[in-house]
Order: sequence, then structure tokens, then C-alpha cells
Amino acid sequence: MLHIKCPYCGMRSQNEFAYGGDASVKRPELNKEISDSEWDNFVYLRKSLRGKHLEFWHHISGCRQWFKVQRDTATHEIFKTLKPNEDI
Amino acid sequence: MQQNFRLNNIGLINRDKKISFKFNGKSYFGYEGDTLASALIANGVHLVGRSFKYHRPRGFFGAGIDESYAIVQLYRNNETDPNVRATEQELFEGLEAKSVNCWPSINFDIGAINNFLNKFIPAGFYYKTFMWPKSFWYKIYEPFIRKAAGFGVASIKHDKERYEHKYEYCDLLITGSGPSGLASAYAAAKNGARVILAEDKPRFGGSLLTSEVTIGNQSGIEWANSIITKLKQMPNVTVKNRAQVFGYYDHNMLVMSERINDHLPKSKKYSPKQRLWYIRAKEVVISSGSIERPLVFGNNDTPGVVLSSAAKEYLKVYGVLVGRNPLIFTNNDSAYETAIEFKKNGIWPIVLDTRSNPDSEIIDEAKRMGINIKFSYVVIAAKGYKKVKSAEIAKISEDKKELGQIENIKCDCICVSGFWTPTIHLASQSGNKTKFNKEIDAFIPSQSKQEETTVGSANGVFTLEETLKTSFAVGHELSKKITNNDNRLPVPQVVEKKSTHHDKFWCVPLPKGKKYKRFLDFQNDVAVTDIELALREGYRSIEHVKRYTTLGMATDQGKTSNLNGLQLVSSIENKIVPEIGHTTFRPPYTPVTIGAIVGREVGKHSKPTRKSPMHLWHEKNNAVFVDAGVWLRPRYYKQGNETLFEASKREAAHVRKNVGVCDVTTLGKIDIKGPDAAELLNRVYTNAWMKLPVGKARYGVMLREDGIVMDDGTTTRISENHYHMTTTTAQAANVLSHLEYYLQVVWPELKVNVVSTTEQWAGAAIAGPKSRNVLQKLFPDTNVSNEGLPFMGYVEASLFGIYARIFRISFSGELAYEVNVESDNGNFMWEKIMEIGKEFEIQPYGTEALSTLRIEMGHVAGSELDGRTIPYDNSLEGLVSKKKDFIGKRSLNRDAFVAKDRQKVVGVVPLDKKTNIPEGSHLVQDANAKLPNPKLGHISASCWSVEFNNPFSLAILHDGKNMIGKKLFALSPLKNKSIPVEIVSSHYVDPKGERVRS
Amino acid sequence: MQKYSVFNLIKNAFTAHKNWEVAWKDPTPKSQYDVVIIGGGGHGLATAFYLAKEHKITNVAIIEKGWIGGGNVGRNTTIIRSNYMHDENALFSEFGMNLWRDMSQELNFNVMFSPRGIINLAHSDAQMNVYSRRGNSMRLNGIDAILLGREEVKKIIPMADFSENVRFPIFGGLMQPSAGTARHDAVAWGYARQADSMGVDIIQNCEVTGFDVVGGKIKGIRTSKGNIKTNKVGLCVAGSTSILAEKLNMTLPIETHLLQACVSEPIKPILPNVVTFGAGHFYCSQSDKGEMVMGGDLDGYNSYAQRGNLPTLQHVLTEGIAMFPFLSKLKMLRTWGGIMDMSMDGSPIIDKTHIEGLYLNCGWCYGGFKATPASGWTFAHTIAKDRVHELNSGYSLNRFHTGHLIDEKGLGTKTWIS
Repeated sequence: MLHIKCPYCGMRSQNEFAYGGDASVKRPELNKEISDSEWDNFVYLRKSLRGKHLEFWHHISGCRQWFKVQRDTATHEIFKTLKPNEDI
Repeated sequence: MQQNFRLNNIGLINRDKKISFKFNGKSYFGYEGDTLASALIANGVHLVGRSFKYHRPRGFFGAGIDESYAIVQLYRNNETDPNVRATEQELFEGLEAKSVNCWPSINFDIGAINNFLNKFIPAGFYYKTFMWPKSFWYKIYEPFIRKAAGFGVASIKHDKERYEHKYEYCDLLITGSGPSGLASAYAAAKNGARVILAEDKPRFGGSLLTSEVTIGNQSGIEWANSIITKLKQMPNVTVKNRAQVFGYYDHNMLVMSERINDHLPKSKKYSPKQRLWYIRAKEVVISSGSIERPLVFGNNDTPGVVLSSAAKEYLKVYGVLVGRNPLIFTNNDSAYETAIEFKKNGIWPIVLDTRSNPDSEIIDEAKRMGINIKFSYVVIAAKGYKKVKSAEIAKISEDKKELGQIENIKCDCICVSGFWTPTIHLASQSGNKTKFNKEIDAFIPSQSKQEETTVGSANGVFTLEETLKTSFAVGHELSKKITNNDNRLPVPQVVEKKSTHHDKFWCVPLPKGKKYKRFLDFQNDVAVTDIELALREGYRSIEHVKRYTTLGMATDQGKTSNLNGLQLVSSIENKIVPEIGHTTFRPPYTPVTIGAIVGREVGKHSKPTRKSPMHLWHEKNNAVFVDAGVWLRPRYYKQGNETLFEASKREAAHVRKNVGVCDVTTLGKIDIKGPDAAELLNRVYTNAWMKLPVGKARYGVMLREDGIVMDDGTTTRISENHYHMTTTTAQAANVLSHLEYYLQVVWPELKVNVVSTTEQWAGAAIAGPKSRNVLQKLFPDTNVSNEGLPFMGYVEASLFGIYARIFRISFSGELAYEVNVESDNGNFMWEKIMEIGKEFEIQPYGTEALSTLRIEMGHVAGSELDGRTIPYDNSLEGLVSKKKDFIGKRSLNRDAFVAKDRQKVVGVVPLDKKTNIPEGSHLVQDANAKLPNPKLGHISASCWSVEFNNPFSLAILHDGKNMIGKKLFALSPLKNKSIPVEIVSSHYVDPKGERVRS
Repeated sequence: MQKYSVFNLIKNAFTAHKNWEVAWKDPTPKSQYDVVIIGGGGHGLATAFYLAKEHKITNVAIIEKGWIGGGNVGRNTTIIRSNYMHDENALFSEFGMNLWRDMSQELNFNVMFSPRGIINLAHSDAQMNVYSRRGNSMRLNGIDAILLGREEVKKIIPMADFSENVRFPIFGGLMQPSAGTARHDAVAWGYARQADSMGVDIIQNCEVTGFDVVGGKIKGIRTSKGNIKTNKVGLCVAGSTSILAEKLNMTLPIETHLLQACVSEPIKPILPNVVTFGAGHFYCSQSDKGEMVMGGDLDGYNSYAQRGNLPTLQHVLTEGIAMFPFLSKLKMLRTWGGIMDMSMDGSPIIDKTHIEGLYLNCGWCYGGFKATPASGWTFAHTIAKDRVHELNSGYSLNRFHTGHLIDEKGLGTKTWIS
């Protein structure tokens, strides 16, 4: 069971969190003209990296905040956790 | 009864307490502190089971978790447990056990015919045969094989035992209470660390229980006892016996199963049978010791062939002799301890040592004691079928290739020692890559992956002196890192016998003309020839070898067989062992009771149950409940002998012509506050929200980014910056997470907060032409007229002094209101509605009538919003704004979504106006077309229209827009139904929506 | 090639089985092949077999990083079924069922296909209706399916929880009687042996390090055992697809996730069928050895680690006991994890790509094992003819742009997030 540091609450066990997927994907801005393929790529395509992966988690049974985790998808080592507006 | 194999003056058992038990129907006795295995051996019982494939007789091979033979069916407290290892099961009064995998009896087992056929059924034989005739595999061969396989029998009764879970944090978790575990635990505890020490056996001390050493001025066992006593008294230490740490998971989470009541005739009251500990440890010290390796020779699976260390344990711990005429076969010094122990107790062993001229203190001592030692000797084969009666032995040349004259030697047991395999499972599970140590011919841990340190023989250290020195140091260093204390303990002086190198020889060659089976995996009957065959056939990866031969896949998971298998592959392939590598170690280290893994979430508690505040009222009024996710909702209120169909028809009809009330508490509710609340709604919903006035509600649909409908519901503007959103019961949690995601991640600039209020509000929907009359009486001070509270209006009111919210919204299509009060007042509200409504003959209605009402009106719900439909499919395209952007909008212009013949919701009526159309039927053009018959759509929801008194269904139909008036067939092959139907509008009742506005 | 039969088994017994030939050879790679299949799992091996058998293309290499059959074909719960709702999945899988039925004979290798039937338990009338939709669709596609009431289910699996003390009572179930199980390793070995005998080179312990793409065409691959020239490359590396796609500068609608499974200690036969729990994600069958083979849901976050954590298994086994209370007293013997391609609609991709000569076979989610023969057959066709077959025409990469998604569960783009 992973041990994840919520940037707001501190270290907690994984069972308090829900996974939220790739955090490197940026939603296109509202009302912005973009091509079909740009949009579809946002909706469906994921790099699914082996190794360092920036991803969202949601402290669903805690403070209910979304945040970013940089984790190794092969070893599950967690390098860093960040608030959504922070970057590595 | 006489125990012929029990000695009087040795052992740690309690001779004051006799315990009677039964094995295979026969009564025996043992003592408190015995295992089932030790008690049986004391009684001279050596035949306990049969092997998996050849059904060869099986006795005891080990004395603990590494046992691969002695598996029994246990009977305890009117329940039965399959596959219990007799070497682990402690004896309790009244214990009953039976052999498994033999029929009709352990002594005469029909399955043993396989043993005589063994040359026809080598490894993987089943891949090469049983192919003709084709149908015979499933019908004839496989059932026969299945019957022959398996061990114990599962009882289909509910498990009466309780299992609990515990979560624990500590500085150091130490796995094993042998010398290394005790030393590191003591050093760390004295340095202020919070320590958990886990021992899988009932007794603490590990190898110290059976070794002849001195630590300080105490014997090994005295020292162990004194340390344990001290540890138990320390407040920062938790010491657990009968507790196996079986899994090393990510981020230093380890899991331990503690057997609390397995050793008692029945579990103590209020005490779980087992407890599962999830332990998050800052540091882990792996002190799990090592397991003795067998030597491989002919018929080495005969009952009476035991590990030398097990023989010593039976003797020193239980006072039990595995034989009175022992032959000891070794390639190293440790078996001499067993020999000496036999001799001390008046038994004359014969030692066969594969080495030509070893020289060490312990061998000298054995010689001094007059023990008969034959150097450069090997056992060719054990003789005897159900028990060892003699052995064929021979001298072996220095290069281990030539055998001398075969001699026959009488013996009743053969104690084997092929040196030691460190128990690296936990280290490997943690991610430690492990390395091969040529000195000891085994793998040991290498670079730590997580915070784990392996000490003692688990790390390949086989002298006590070195073990204590390193373990004290490790305990000190690790604890210092955590506590910053620097209280270092002196390492006690050790007196032990020095040993010399072991012989890198472990598999005895077969003499010419002999065809003895030499086994590697005893439970699965994997012999040397099987491995040779696998390699010959090209199954050369160690994983292929394992899978093809089933080596190491038995219930002991290869604890005694894996390394010998590797060595064999290595010698045949001419590769060194590390090049071959070992198969991966995964949790669990030993099998774990599934009930313990699950804990208390069984029976009715396997998932939570959510009930509305009015639940008791529903119960009292004959509600029949239905599961809606984890909620329980009244499905209908039964009157007399009514069926579901009759009741729901009555309830729905009553709403249509009179008034009904429905508990809608389970709907998801989200409170939305902030100056940008309207902007959020405008982005989340497909329709426009910027101009919704205070005191008004609006229906909205929200999409996923892929354009599929996620949820629908009404949202009401309570005040300037305050909205109340409702969601479906099923999607409540998802919608909240969805809103939080967009607010926190995508649009953090929006000043909005959201919070779930599902459990804060109780809701009642009052529906029907007379609902306003009821409402007027409930809220005499509030203007609830069509002008005062128009359709989609909202007011706050006082319900006999209680704060209430009234929403004029309708799911039924009738004039309707939804009243919300704080949950604590829910029951009060409900009773008031029933009391006041009496005058108007109000009736409660359940989800089934609710369904009928919404289907008739063509309102889509969960069965249409099934995660595959877009707004158009649900005739909700009118709610999709063309002007503004919103979540998922960009996906709606995909080819498939804008196709001219896109599916759309329609109404379906059977031509005979009588036949109910089963939900899940498909619509087709031609009922008798050949298969595959093209499907045009499916029936998503069906009801009996109380308005028109005939069946009515909704369907999602291909090109639905252009199908109105067409005649099709609704087919349900599952129910053998073919129903001619007509396609009509989905708005079957009140298509203009006049009633809700009346 | 030596024939496997009971007669040969007896004959060989008299020479102590010393005359059996290798099931497949261990060749060094040639410098050029007509087709290179990357991935020696079930799908890769089957593809090579059908290329040789159906299309007479035998100058084929299978490049496997580890040992053949070491991926998900060797770490699954051995279930074979075609109980799908959507036509694309149903017709494809049913085509596969027919290949399964003849596989042991076709491969002359007993893969132990055992049509013991699969039952999906339903725990409410609503769920019965949802299953009816699927079952009726199966029947209209010519696939066997029957709807069982509570009492009928009880007759087949009386050991399931029919007591009062149950959170989600069994209302009934949908059964596909012809579904079943097979011996997973044997499938890989059987295909390997036949492919090898027809001239396919199976190259193990060989890692693909790069691709040679010139002018939008594939020209060869680079491996740890040297460069190989070829004009056609088939990618069959479920679980690692994204890693190789990265080397081709492709991003796919796929994430790699971990699915765990476990077995209990062996017990005497108790469960004849494959059974799935409707109020969760648990499924279970009993192997010929007697082990209860159990699986459930994903660990829930992107993972390339073939190791999982206990809470997922705890959750899965909780549903297990809810369905079969007898599991409580059994012991969990072995656990393992498989990494799998989770595609964004839960259905696979078998298609050509924008690179000429590069073919893609991926996105199998939890359903790869049962698809082995049909996947191999259609992928071989796609590679040999350079066009998709009707059976895999729905499994296009383009569907994520056109919107023709094949979403069996209706969970959308984040199927792995519950």
C-alpha cells in the first residue's frame, strides 16, 4: 500500500486517496479554436510512461483536494507531491 | 497407551498436561506444546498423506512451514479446515484430523496405481495426450484428473470464526525471533525505538531452541528466554508469537497474520481466530533464518526421510525420536549436531558424510562420542514403501562420479542435510535483487530496495558469533537513525563449535541399472528425470522449467525444492546458477487464510448499507426494499397479497389521479457557493445558467469530456451566490469529484466551493393532481399557488416550525413538489405529510412506481444514460447550448455523433397492447432472419402504462428520429419472446408537459 | 515434427523419454525476415503460427525480450468466453471460440480447453435486465447464452451464498455454457511448437532497442542481438505497448495498469464453472489442480510493476467471500500481477498505422487471453494482406477520432478509475 504525502495533510496511506490519471495532460482552454485531432488527443491519448510519471491523486477520504504526485510507475517510488498549481 | 518414540527427559513440552486427539479415526494422546506432527511421530505414526500425482506415501519431512508432505484435514469446533500442515498445527484437546488425497484409505490408496504407471506419465505428459476423441477431454479425462487432484475438502458452511484487522506503525519491524532477531530487537529497543518482533512459531528463540551454544554465561535457550522476558516488559516493544510476516509491500508496508486461537479447541469469546496486521515500518530487519536443503537420492520421498534439523527439533523441543535406528546423510557439519543429540539420548546413529576428510570441532566431538561416521559415503536409495526400512549406500569417489559397491544398511529413518538456504523471500518481495553467494551455494539479499536490512542466517551468516555481532550493530544503527539515541549494548561472548566447509554436492548419481526416482519437489512429485525432460524439450528458462514440471508450485512454494532445482538446471545447462536466476518471490511467504485477509467485511457487512432517515417508517409500512448502489430504497409498499407488478401499478395510478409521496433522500446533493457559482454551472452543464434567477430551479445535463452524458439533475439558485445541485443516486460521488477536479485543477481562478450535502437533507417528493392541496395544508403560511410557486420555482418555508425547502420540480410528470428538511427532521416531515395527506388519500410510492411514471413521460434515467449515450440519443439536444462552451462540447461533433441515422430514444408499444416487452430485448426488422440478426436498438425500460392501461417501453433505436410509426419486432431469445411492436414518441403521456405547470 | 499422442508417449516411456525432441529451437536471428513479430506472448506466437499456416509466410521471426509466454498469457485466470454485448467484440470472440474448440487438435498440443460455462451473477432485477440486453444480443449473434433464475443458479452452484445473511442476494445470472478455461502456458507452447516447425524463428532474450523508419516506411528493427531488416513489423506487446510506441514517436489511447490475481491452496473439486460476482469485480474458477483461481479489479494507478498491493486483493477477496463463503477457510497460496494495456474504451486495437509496414495489436485490457487465437488470426491477415479483416475492422485506431467506440461497460475514458 503506497504512502502518499498529501501537500495539505501530510503522509497518509493510499486507501484515503483516489487516482486521477496523467497530470501532464492539459485541458484545452474553453472557447479556444483547436483541431479535431488536438481535442481527441487530449481526451484519449496518454504517454503512459515507464518511470517518472506526473499524475493526479485526490484525497477523497481526507481534505478532498486534488494534487500532483511524481511517481515511478515501475517501482512506485514517490519523488515529490505538489499542489495543482505547482510545477516540478 | 505407550508412546514408543517419546523420550522422558528432554523437550519443552508440558508433560503434566496430556491431550487426546484422533487421527484417521484412531485415538492417540500427546502433550501440551506438541504439534500434531510431533504427537503423531511420538505415537509411531509416520504415514500421513499421499503425494499429488503418483500418490506415493508421505510422512513428515520438516518440522514447520517448510513441510511439503504432512497436510491434513482438520476438524475443530464443528468446523473443518482443509490443507492444514500437521507440523504447524498445535495439539489441542479433542483435535481430529484426517489424511487427504487418498482413497479409500491412507494405507490402501487406489490412486497409487499412478506410481506404477509413473514411467508413462512424466512431466507434462498431459500436454501430449488426451486429445482424441475431441470431446473426451472435457467429458472424460478432465473430470477424472480433477477428482484425483486437490487435497482437502472445503466446507460450504459459513465460517463462524471472526477475523480482524489492525493497522500499526513502528520504527523497526523484526521478522523472526532467532538469535539475529532477538539481538537486533533488543539493541533497538534499548536505544528507544518502537519495535515489533514477530515470530511465526509458538516459541521464541528460533535456532537457539535446539542449538548447543553458550551466550555470556547462559545457554542459548536461557539467553533467548531472558531477552524475550526483557523485551516483553518494555513499553516500546510489541512481541508476537504465532505471527507470520508474509508480505513485504510498497513503501515499507508489511502484512502479518497472527494466529490467535488456532491452537485452542475453540476460539475464546470476543477473540478473533486470526488477526491481520498492516504494519508501516520505518525500518525492517529481516531475521527469518534459513531452511535446510534436502539431498537428492533414490526414493528420497519415503516416509522416514526427514530433514536433519527437523529430527533435531523433534528431539529437543518435543522429546520425540523420528527413528530409533537413524541414518544421517550430510554434506556439511550441521547434521553432526543431530547425530550428537541422538547419541546423547541413547540412540546410535550412523553418519554418512559425502566429504572425504572434513576436519572440525564438531566432527571431532562426534568421533570422541564413538559415533559411526562413514566419510565419502552416500545414500543411493531409501528402501521401504510406507516407511524407511533400510538404505542402499555406497562409497563415492572424490570427483563424485564413481560409486563403490552397494551396501545395504538397516535403518528406520534417514536424516538429510544438504546445507542451508537463507530465507530471502521478504527481501526479494521488497524489491531487493538478491545475489548468488558461491560460498554457500545460495542467494542472499544484495542492495536494499526499501528500508530493509537482512541479518543472521537469512543473510548467509552461519556462525552465532558473527550473527550476534552484526545483529546488535544493525539494531543499534537503525534505531539511532530514528531516535537519535546512542545507547550501544555490549555484544555477549559466544561459545560455539567451529564448523568447516560444506560439500558442494547434493544429488547422488544413479548406479548403472537402477531406476530410482530422485525427487526434488516432494508434494508435486517432480523428479530429476522431469527436469531433464523439460530441458531436453527446450523448456530452458527457469520459468519454463517451473511451469512445465510444476517444480516449486506446491503449497510449500518450493521452500525445499527450488534451489536444488536450480542447481540441477545449472549442471545440465552448464551455466552458473546466477545466470539462470530464480523465479520471482511474491507474497505470501506462507499461505494465508482468506478469511483473515478479508476481516470483518463479510455477510451483510460485505459492503456498507445506507438508509434514509425515514427507513424505519418504510419498514413498518410493509415496504419491500431494493438495493440502489449501497442505498436501500422502498421498491413498493405491499398491501395484502399484492405482487410487485400489482403494487407498482396501484401506486403509480394513485399518483396520476390523486397524490403520492416518495422518499427521494438518496438523490445526491451538492451545495455550491461563491461569486463564480453560476459560471461553474455554465461550464459544467450543457445548457445556459448565467441568467437563472434566485428562487428558480433548472434541469441540466452534464457530459464527460468524451461527449457522453455523465449525469442529470436539477440545480436551484437558493440565493445570489448559493446553489443547490442534485445528482442521480448512482453518480453522486463521481459528480462531486468531477466538480472538485475542475475547480481545483482546471479553473482554480473560479471563486467557488462545493460540498456534499446528500446526508444533510431528507427529501420527499409529493406528486399528483392533489399535491398542492397537501402542500397548502403542510405550509399554511406559504403561498404555494401556481402563481406563488410556479413550475421550477423554489421557496423556503416553515414546516410546523421546522426549516424546509420546497422545490416545484417533477420527475413523475404530474404536478409535484419536493420538500427537503434537515435529515434529523426527515421522519417528522414524512409523518406530517402522511398525517396531513390522509384527507387526500395520500399513498407512499416506491421506486417501481417512480419508474413507471418517468417511463410513461419519456424522462430518461440510468437505463438510458448508461455511459454510452450523448444528449441527442436521449432527446436532450434542446438542452445543448450552441453559444457557449462546456465540458465535453468539443466531442459532440465527431462523425459517429452527428450521423444522420444516429440512435435516439423512442417509445415502444406492443401491437397487441397486452404483452409486456422484457427490458433488454432487442428491436429487429425481421424476427426470423438468419443469425447474426442485425439489431436496430434495445429496450432500455419497460412499464405498464397506468394512463393507457397497456405496456409501454422506451428504447434506444438506430435512426430513432425517422422510425416513429414503424413496426418492428422486440426479440428476447433468452425469454423465448418475439413481440411485434410499434415505434411511438417517447413522450407517451402529456407530451406538451401541461400537468407539471398546472 | 514428432507427433504427440498416447502411443508415442508409451513408446517413449520404454526409452525413458530420452528421445523427445525440443518443442522449439533456439536460433540466432537472421539478418532479414519477411515479417518480424515483436513479443513472444500468446498473441505474437499465434500471429506467427497463422502467418505460416494461413498465409504461407514462414520467413518470420518472433522477438521476445524475456522468455516466450512470460507475459500475460502466462499470468492470467485462463478464462475463455464470447459473452459480449457489442457486435464487434461478440463476433470477433465467437470466431475465436471456434478456434479454441479445435486448438488442441490443430496444434497437436493439449491446451485443455474446457467448456465449463461461465455464469455472471446478478443481484437485482435491474442487473438482470442489463444482463438480458447482453444475453439477447449474444443470442442474436448466434452465441449461446441462457438466463438463469435464482433457483436455477442454486442448482448449478449451491455453494454460493443463498443464505439470508447476505448483502447482495443472488437474483439470477447470465450463463454462457460454452465458455470455459484452458491451460494458459500450453497455449503459448503449442503455438510456439507449431510455428517453429513451420520455419518461424523464435528468438528469446532479445530486446528491441529501436526501429528503422525511412520515408514513413518500416525498414527494420534494432535489437540486442543485432539489426534485422524487414518491411513488416507486428507489435504484440500488451503491457509494454506504450514503451515501444515511444520509440516510434507514437502516443496511443492506452495506459498500462496492473491486474492482480491469486490462487488458493488446492482442494477437492467444488466449483465446476467460472463464476463472476455482479456486485463487484470478483471472478473465480477452480483449476484442474484444485486451486481456486481468483481475480478482480485493477490496482488502480498506472503501473509497470508486476507486483501489486494487498488492499486490492483484500477488496477482491471480500467480494469472493460474499459470493462463496467457503473461501473463508481456504488459504491464499500464490499471487501475481500482470501489466496490461488499458485502452480508452475497454476494447482492443488491431490495425495498420500511419507508418507503412507497422502493424499494431494492443489495448487488450483484461481480455487478452481468450482473444489469443482470434487476435493471432486477424492480425496475421492484417499483416499478410496489408488490410484489416472484417472481424477486426471495428478495432481501428481511428475510432477514437470518429467516435465509433466499443464501450462494453459504459465507463468511458477512465475505465480504470472507479
